[in-house]
Amino acid sequence: MAQPNQEENFMEEGNVAIINVKFMGDLRALLQQRAITLALPPGSTVGDLFASLCNSYGEPFTSRVFSGSGALQHYILVFLDGQNIKELGGLGARLGNGEVEIVMLPMFEGG
Amino acid sequence: MASKWVPTACGMCYVGCGIRVLVEDGVAVSIEGDPNNPQNQGVMCAKGKAGIMNLYNPHRIKVPLKRTNPKRGLHEDPGWKEISWDEALTTIAAKLDGIRDDPKKLYVQAWEVTGDCFYWLLALGSAFGTPHLMGNASATCGKVIHPVEFFSGGGFHQQPDLHYCNYCILIGTQFGLGARGAFNHITLDMAEARARGMKVVVIDPVGSYAASKANEWIPIRPGTDTAFALSMLHVLLNELGIYDARFLKHKTNAPYLVGSNGRYIREPGSGKPLVFDATDQRVKTHDDPTASDPAITGAGEGGRPAFELLREHVAKYPPEKTEEITTIPAATLRRLAQEFGEAASVGATMTIDGVTLPYRPACVDWAKGPQGHKHGFHQSWPLKLLNIVMGAVNVPGGILSTAAAGKRPHRWWPEGGTDGLLEEGGHVLPLPHPKAFPGRTPTKPFRMDLAELFPLAPHFHTLLPITCQDRERYGLSYGIEMMLHAPTNSLLGSFGDLKMVESFYQSIPFIAGFAVEINETNLFDDIVLPFPSYLERSDFVAGTNLLIPHCGKDDWLWQIRQSVVEPPAGMRQPQEVIMEIADRLGLLGDFYRLLNHAFRLKEPYALQPGQRYPITEVIDRMARSWFGEEHDLGWFREHGVIRIPRDVEEAYIGPFLEARLPIYLEHFLQRGEELKEVISQMGLEWDLSDYRPLSDWMPCPSYNAIRNGRYDLIAVHYKLPYVYGSFGNENPWINEICERTPYAYNVLVNEDVAKAKGISDGDEVWLESPATKVRAKAKLTQCIHPQVVGVAGHFGHWSPGMPIARGKGINFNSLLPTDLEHIDKISTALDHCVEVRLYK
Ligand code: SF4
Repeated sequence: MAQPNQEENFMEEGNVAIINVKFMGDLRALLQQRAITLALPPGSTVGDLFASLCNSYGEPFTSRVFSGSGALQHYILVFLDGQNIKELGGLGARLGNGEVEIVMLPMFEGG
Repeated sequence: MASKWVPTACGMCYVGCGIRVLVEDGVAVSIEGDPNNPQNQGVMCAKGKAGIMNLYNPHRIKVPLKRTNPKRGLHEDPGWKEISWDEALTTIAAKLDGIRDDPKKLYVQAWEVTGDCFYWLLALGSAFGTPHLMGNASATCGKVIHPVEFFSGGGFHQQPDLHYCNYCILIGTQFGLGARGAFNHITLDMAEARARGMKVVVIDPVGSYAASKANEWIPIRPGTDTAFALSMLHVLLNELGIYDARFLKHKTNAPYLVGSNGRYIREPGSGKPLVFDATDQRVKTHDDPTASDPAITGAGEGGRPAFELLREHVAKYPPEKTEEITTIPAATLRRLAQEFGEAASVGATMTIDGVTLPYRPACVDWAKGPQGHKHGFHQSWPLKLLNIVMGAVNVPGGILSTAAAGKRPHRWWPEGGTDGLLEEGGHVLPLPHPKAFPGRTPTKPFRMDLAELFPLAPHFHTLLPITCQDRERYGLSYGIEMMLHAPTNSLLGSFGDLKMVESFYQSIPFIAGFAVEINETNLFDDIVLPFPSYLERSDFVAGTNLLIPHCGKDDWLWQIRQSVVEPPAGMRQPQEVIMEIADRLGLLGDFYRLLNHAFRLKEPYALQPGQRYPITEVIDRMARSWFGEEHDLGWFREHGVIRIPRDVEEAYIGPFLEARLPIYLEHFLQRGEELKEVISQMGLEWDLSDYRPLSDWMPCPSYNAIRNGRYDLIAVHYKLPYVYGSFGNENPWINEICERTPYAYNVLVNEDVAKAKGISDGDEVWLESPATKVRAKAKLTQCIHPQVVGVAGHFGHWSPGMPIARGKGINFNSLLPTDLEHIDKISTALDHCVEVRLYK
């Protein structure tokens, strides 16, 4: 599976935001990574981060994270500095120099 | 003598009734229903009353154990040796540490919903990073009802509105009479509804408890519910012309125009589905506010309304044709359709608390029965359609969605999404809910349960015993290396053929789990952790009132469970054990992040990384966070339950829902095509016939096995109101009930059929399915379909740790062949109607 560009590749370009991304739930097993550090242009949003991750990890990641309509699947939770992005404007939330946790939870309960 | 009544929650089944326990000198001596708790209104069932006998069961496990016999099997003696908690948890943490770089090798069998353990185990599994989390108990039940209900009602389960319903058809369920969430509340409501004249029609192969109270019992051949439902729809829509046109036009996708390829006709730019507005004879998007009369009949530009397709489709199922399939006489079905249609009172309204609502006092309810089939989704979905075409969804008298919406202590509400259809279900805990719309994009699986090949299903554990037989076939290059499990006896209740489950468990190198007593699942454990009785536990979630409470305007509730007696020395609370495992693995922060999210804990109540808490402190934080500082753990310890009145909007969400319900499952076509591509890339053979937007009846393997004469009967399972799963079977009082009635430990056979075979009442017989052959005692009765054998409860124990239950009754699931041919390709339900021979 394709791996994301690591921090140092971006650092060479100078003015960047360093984003620590932690994976939980199914994504930890899927990506076989617990965390990565990414450098994105300043002012990037959570949506930009996902675009970068989709680019790096390809279809297995994209198809699990997004529904056909391009919205995040209901079992994907994203926390930015500990706060659910639903409360921060969703994919449009600005990353800052944030810590991002992306969690894929099981659909639970029943019968 | 010190004597006190302590309020808490029953834990003898998943319902969680409010109870008061009389404790004398530290000993629980009596249990009563709590009259102040809306969950059960003071009433209890036999299981709950018998709970004391489980508390003082001399065979309970009170210390951690490890196995000394490395051989594992259904009948292997583990050779238990008592060990310390430290040794047990050190061993478990070390095993987890060994697979942490590849966390998918962990399988967590988490189902135990009487308390918190379920949620905490799932959070541990997610923090660890495995996708293999089993969040449901049954091999069938729940596989269809929840994914259907979340996209066609908005909540977790469904429930007839017993306050206003006048005509209630129960199919494959003993709702309010022998089973279901909020059991003791709804049994009272059911009794009152029947007393005021509500007609109950039970359609079921077995004339069981529900049938005994019904106005009418109509036996049906198992696995033919689709044909029944489609025929009812045909009579209603085509012969009688009874349906709620206004509701269909404005609250469903009935007017969406469908092209000859089965797909919606969409507006080129926006991609929105189109409707034909009869008012100005123009095609518009479905959400165009000027579309005042979207046509549901006729033909629009290049397409036909989905409703027109439905009507045409169901015309293929006239009652005369389906009589051959279901064995229900055509005249009976026509009469039922007429009675149902008339009772629905299309067009009527009712005013409650000053709010005028549609009034549809007729509904169809279904649960376990229709789901448990090779084509379980399509057996069940058209039953829900019967309510939708009448507009009898989430309105007084109709079918209601449980726990779908609320305003306090948080706001939760179902929401529309893709194509204007209901997409987000309502749930008091902000967790992903099982739903079949819009589904996921299928992809080559990395999961051992093949979840990726079931893009519309919510649970997948039924695949595990199948895939572990031949991983390479599915492109899987690893195996499950560790299982952690709740005290539930999943070996007997969650799968089928026991040889398959044995082989699956044997393939897992290390298994650790909780145990109340050593049941058959624990026989495979390497490490056993003792699990306290519900009378010794503390839980913030105490039963399933958060998912399947009573519906309608009766108060919403939250209760907590408090320990009423001291646990045995050395016994630990399961949440604290799980917390310690997370801590030993360095995962406490991630674990708390998930718990804080699940239970909506924010500062200053959020659990803090680096700290460990006694469970009572966690519950206190949760209680204060949800209900305010004045409602802390101390308040709940005194009062047991908090009641919150529901307003009309919360009770009857239908008219207030800003989303349409489906009658046509267009997305099934897309998912089917995507899956076909993946399957062909993998070189697998796969039946894609279920990926269709309108249901058809498709036979179960047992239907064909009978027709070709290889077998002559079909075995089905039915529930007993005094037995829940295999939970509580090791109980002398429950055993006494089961021994005194002929309907628990015996198998039911139609009297005429049995006599023709030379079998008399009470005879020992062989019951033989393709999976196994078991010895049983026959109970002859007229109250069963002549082609059917009825097997009740969840019995057939052999574990030495269950001396009361051992050797009594039979385990129905062990009869079930377990392979891909018996799995519903939409829902993953395992076919629960199995061909059998019965002979002496
Ligand atoms: S229905 Fe369940 S929770 Fe209620 S009293 Fe009976 S066993 Fe207990």
